[in-house]
Amino acid sequence: MSRILVIDDEEDVRLALQRRLEREGHEGHEVSLAGTTAEGEAALADSEEVFDVVITDMSMEDGESGVRMLKAAIQRDVFTEVIILTAYGNVRNAVTCMQLGAYDYVEKNIPDVDVYELLMLKISRALEQRRLILKQ
Amino acid sequence: MSEQTEPTAKGERSLHLICNRLLRLALTQHSTHDYLREALEEALRATGGTRAFVARIEQESGELVVVETAGEGWTRRNRRLRLVPHNETQRGITGYVAITGEPYLSSDVQADPHHLRIFEDARSEMAVPYFDTEGRVRGVLNIDSVAPHAFNSVHLAIITTLASGIGSALAFDEFRVRERLLVDIGRDLAAITEIDQLASRVVAVAAKALQCEACSVFLTDEATEMLVLQASSSALNSEAGKIGYKPGEGLTGCVLTTGETIRLDDPRTDPRWTGKYPEFDANENCAYLAAPVIGRKGILGVIRVSRPRSRAAWFRATFTESDERMLRTIAGQFGASVDNVLSFNRSLHTERMAAWGELSAKSAHMIGNRTFAIKGDINELKYRMANCAERLKADPTASAFDRELCAKIDELVLSVERGIYRLEEILREFRDFVMATQLKLSTVDLNSLMRETVKETLGYRPSIHLTERYADPLPKLRCDAGKLKRALSELLDNAVSFMPDGGAIEISTSSFAGEDTVGSNKALVPGRVYLMIVIRDTGPGVPADMKSQIFNPFYTSRAKGMGLGLSIVKGIVDAHHGLIEETGEAGAGAQFEILLPAETVLKDEEESHDCD
Repeated sequence: MSRILVIDDEEDVRLALQRRLEREGHEGHEVSLAGTTAEGEAALADSEEVFDVVITDMSMEDGESGVRMLKAAIQRDVFTEVIILTAYGNVRNAVTCMQLGAYDYVEKNIPDVDVYELLMLKISRALEQRRLILKQ
Repeated sequence: MSEQTEPTAKGERSLHLICNRLLRLALTQHSTHDYLREALEEALRATGGTRAFVARIEQESGELVVVETAGEGWTRRNRRLRLVPHNETQRGITGYVAITGEPYLSSDVQADPHHLRIFEDARSEMAVPYFDTEGRVRGVLNIDSVAPHAFNSVHLAIITTLASGIGSALAFDEFRVRERLLVDIGRDLAAITEIDQLASRVVAVAAKALQCEACSVFLTDEATEMLVLQASSSALNSEAGKIGYKPGEGLTGCVLTTGETIRLDDPRTDPRWTGKYPEFDANENCAYLAAPVIGRKGILGVIRVSRPRSRAAWFRATFTESDERMLRTIAGQFGASVDNVLSFNRSLHTERMAAWGELSAKSAHMIGNRTFAIKGDINELKYRMANCAERLKADPTASAFDRELCAKIDELVLSVERGIYRLEEILREFRDFVMATQLKLSTVDLNSLMRETVKETLGYRPSIHLTERYADPLPKLRCDAGKLKRALSELLDNAVSFMPDGGAIEISTSSFAGEDTVGSNKALVPGRVYLMIVIRDTGPGVPADMKSQIFNPFYTSRAKGMGLGLSIVKGIVDAHHGLIEETGEAGAGAQFEILLPAETVLKDEEESHDCD
């Protein structure tokens, strides 16, 4: 079971992600939720165990929220894999995130793609990468 | 004017005195009215006449109208007198002088066949014409006396001098009226923000200033390049917006293409004349004067005036050189005002686009998030339905109803999913629309970019006959390659979608130097090298009346899409400081021409330009 933190300012989005993550794989993931950057930072700080994966929305309080979350997550544990969610294709910030060490970014709205399945795929790869890194 | 008999020494002296007084009068009197009255009083004093009047020729009717009187016996009725020079019984000596342009002296009016009786007691009468700066008779000064043989050649010489003073004063007055009109129109036009109001105001002022019933204004329609009537002070006004000339068509079209003023006494004799949309009966001769309306970037249109031939055949109602100068001045002011209105509208357009952009960005973001959440629900629903289907499959006791229900729900889920995807496509269109102006520039080879775009967009399509003609070498282009590709592929997609049964697409690139383009409406920077992309198809094309709208957001003739496609294309081209135009002919296919400024200026590119 992996520990995942989801940060998004839309409750519907948080719940949809939680639901999907909790039934993923054989045993599902353990999911924590945060609705703001502050809540997210608090969750990172308060948690005894580190999160394996952090999924954060890019644009919450402002267009840079995702970048701040990414920095906070990496500060807490440099091996935490961070996946950025972007609505409305704020690709420029996504590229910044990649340069800052995000595992990947996923556009929320891609026509003809079940983004949830895409996200699950990316999460399982991120977890795989993290396992490999931790093993070393 | 006929030769006068030599005035006597006494006459010469009094003539000299009169001239001096007249000059003083002209300098001190503020109104023409006062000046005329004083001049007439002077005439009576100098000649010992009983009554005097000045009659002015009315342009349109060619009749003489009394404008000022002096002496005893004038009534309201005879002050309103109209003399008709072309009617022998109604013209009198005054009308006769107007026609001949010669002074006239009658020592015994009762025996004079030209005399028209206005005052019972008149015995002697003399009349002299006054002229305008063009040498045309504009009116007559008339003096009578109750005494027979009251006037001699000295008196005639005196009033001839007075008349020429009157002519100058009236000409100056006319000049002042025109000047005031010009000042007024300048102020008026600056306050008007609609082209049609501007046009209406201009025709009214020009008609007044040039004393003609008919003034019409035409402006070039950017999309169709037709010269379209905007307003007219004649009956033609009801056709505003509906009629017009092609460039070079008729006299009016010629003014547009040549930029020259045309002034004709009888336009019917000119080979360029078509008589297509005359202000008056085309069979009737009208003097014609037309001037180009010149704006900052070239000729915007044409302003023309026409004046029907006066009913008085003897009177030349033609336009003069000073009329021509006047019209050119009005045209210049009008051109500047049109420029102002257009640039105001353009900045309004930019603002509107920015507002659209912000609205699009915000709503797209919110809708995008919501859609993502719904996608999560659908994902969950699909998962549950898959479980459900598996259970039903494994359960031999499951009812047909349950199986059917399960299949039905599956179908609905798919439909909702399709709807969501469609929504996301719209969001993408929104995003591209907003992002169109945010460029990430790099230097590229337009031909390679074009080839890639064609390959990616069209792929292999046997139903489309593709011709690519690339000028090589081509100056380099500094652009956002991704955005430009997006714009070009939108145009290619468009071409394909309008030719469902196949057709031909022709793509070409070329380069040329922007020149001073007075006469065409393209706003190219002189000395700059431009790259041109032409994409032509054999689809239905764009109807002339829609050409101006196709680049507006939400304009679409297709059921599919938001109608943002071409506005995105235009946004991208605009952001590159380029120009895009649809120049095809409806029915023969669409043709999009894109002009983009090349990276380098003319000097560096002359070599490659020669290779084109």
